[in-house]
Amino acid sequence: MGNKADSIIYFFNETMRSMWRNGVMTVASVTTAVVSVLILGIFLLLFANSHNIARYLEDSVQITVYMQDDARDDQINIIGSEIAALPGVVKVDTVDKEKAMERFKERLGSNAGILSALDDNPLPYSFDVHVDGPERVTEIIPKIQGMSYVESARYGKDVVEKLFQFTRVLRYGGIAIIILMGMGTLFIIINTIRLTVYARRREIEIMRYVGATDSFIRWPFLLEGIFIGVFGAVISALALTILYSSVIDKIRLALAFIPVLPTWPLMIWIWVALIFVGGIIGVAGSYISLSRFLRV
Amino acid sequence: MLRMKNVYKSYNGDGYALENINLHISPGEFVFLVGASGAGKSTFIKLIFREISADSGEIFVNGVAKSISDLSAKEVPSLRRLLGIVFQDYRLLPDRTVFENVAFAMRVTEAPKDIISHRVRHVLDLVGLSHKSDSFPNELSGGEQQRVAIARAVVNDPKLIIADEPTGNLDPETAWDIMEIFRQINEHGATVIMATHDENIVNNLNKRVITIENGHIVRDRNRGFYGE
Repeated sequence: MGNKADSIIYFFNETMRSMWRNGVMTVASVTTAVVSVLILGIFLLLFANSHNIARYLEDSVQITVYMQDDARDDQINIIGSEIAALPGVVKVDTVDKEKAMERFKERLGSNAGILSALDDNPLPYSFDVHVDGPERVTEIIPKIQGMSYVESARYGKDVVEKLFQFTRVLRYGGIAIIILMGMGTLFIIINTIRLTVYARRREIEIMRYVGATDSFIRWPFLLEGIFIGVFGAVISALALTILYSSVIDKIRLALAFIPVLPTWPLMIWIWVALIFVGGIIGVAGSYISLSRFLRV
Repeated sequence: MLRMKNVYKSYNGDGYALENINLHISPGEFVFLVGASGAGKSTFIKLIFREISADSGEIFVNGVAKSISDLSAKEVPSLRRLLGIVFQDYRLLPDRTVFENVAFAMRVTEAPKDIISHRVRHVLDLVGLSHKSDSFPNELSGGEQQRVAIARAVVNDPKLIIADEPTGNLDPETAWDIMEIFRQINEHGATVIMATHDENIVNNLNKRVITIENGHIVRDRNRGFYGE
């Protein structure tokens, strides 16, 4: 037990010593980690937000069902529950004639006065039908149109189809870019750590002569990789948090219609993801860089 | 302690660096390995600590049941812990003190800290460098650096010490100090195999001398001299 503890303390001291004595290399590695993790983090934020926008747009896809004017209230209620029972329908909002008029007035704004010329409410009774995805719309529409007392069921056909394509591109493209960025980061870190290892090849050689096992040689380097990766990730997460909160403040002021995600709790996930990725990439980078110098 | 049977070694396939080597070295012996540069001495030394592997033949080191050519990469560290190796160019870590350089060889065996510090003090005393234990290698003379390297080689109390031209970079007087340390280590029971072309040392120590020429053992005398 004591020996293991001694070894762990030894590994820790070795790591600190190495990072301190190879100060320039350490600063270079951490800087590389900061920059690459920062870029990765920016993509994660863009991805999270575009995913959010995509979901927001999808949620706002709805089918408007207009009822025939001669339908009675009880008939309309039956149709409403029939629509709600269709697979893929998430929510059905009832828009009776009064509500339709209110909305219309709202839309007219200061011109609402012209409505006082009407002595009857000409607007039809309707339902706003929310579905669970834009791809559902085309299969639900014919079913609604087949129901009695339904005058028409409408949706923005072109918009929905384009939107569906757009959100798909956003998702898969975003995932692909994040994977590529991760691999790029790993590649850069491997090369930086390889320089550190190269600078210490003499030491590694001597360790091997005196009978050090590969894992004994490897530990301080792996710890160094973790430190570099995690430390770099913390710095970039900190920078991203500051950057993001100031950017979304500006977007909220200038482009209020874009639904941006608030800094928290999003940033908690970004912190966790970046520190995790930083650590993993640091360890993998060290391991891969070292394998060339061991077992030769 | 060391046994070689029909050992062959070539580099890049053209000609043998060592050809059909057979020998036996008993525990407690002090053996000089002599021959011109390029005769095969370094190849011989490197084969013993598995820096390189033989093409064919068997090499047995005391305490290891397998021929060392058959050891897997994972088994090599435990072979090296049975040996103490001293090089011509000392191979000390420049950024560590004398004490740390010697302790290094024990740390890799994951020995407890108090045992390491006790043992390192003991071997530094043996080579006469207790007072320099906090110095760095570049603050030491060549002879002192080689003594640190010897302390590192013996700190794990190996039964076999291998030295490749340990006095090659030293003036004659310092070389004798170093030889005296090796002689003491041998008297304490360790087997010593030393490659050298220092004629003076070989002729004065009156030990077993194995002469290698062009990859062959051409002479093996029990109380031998250089070149005969």
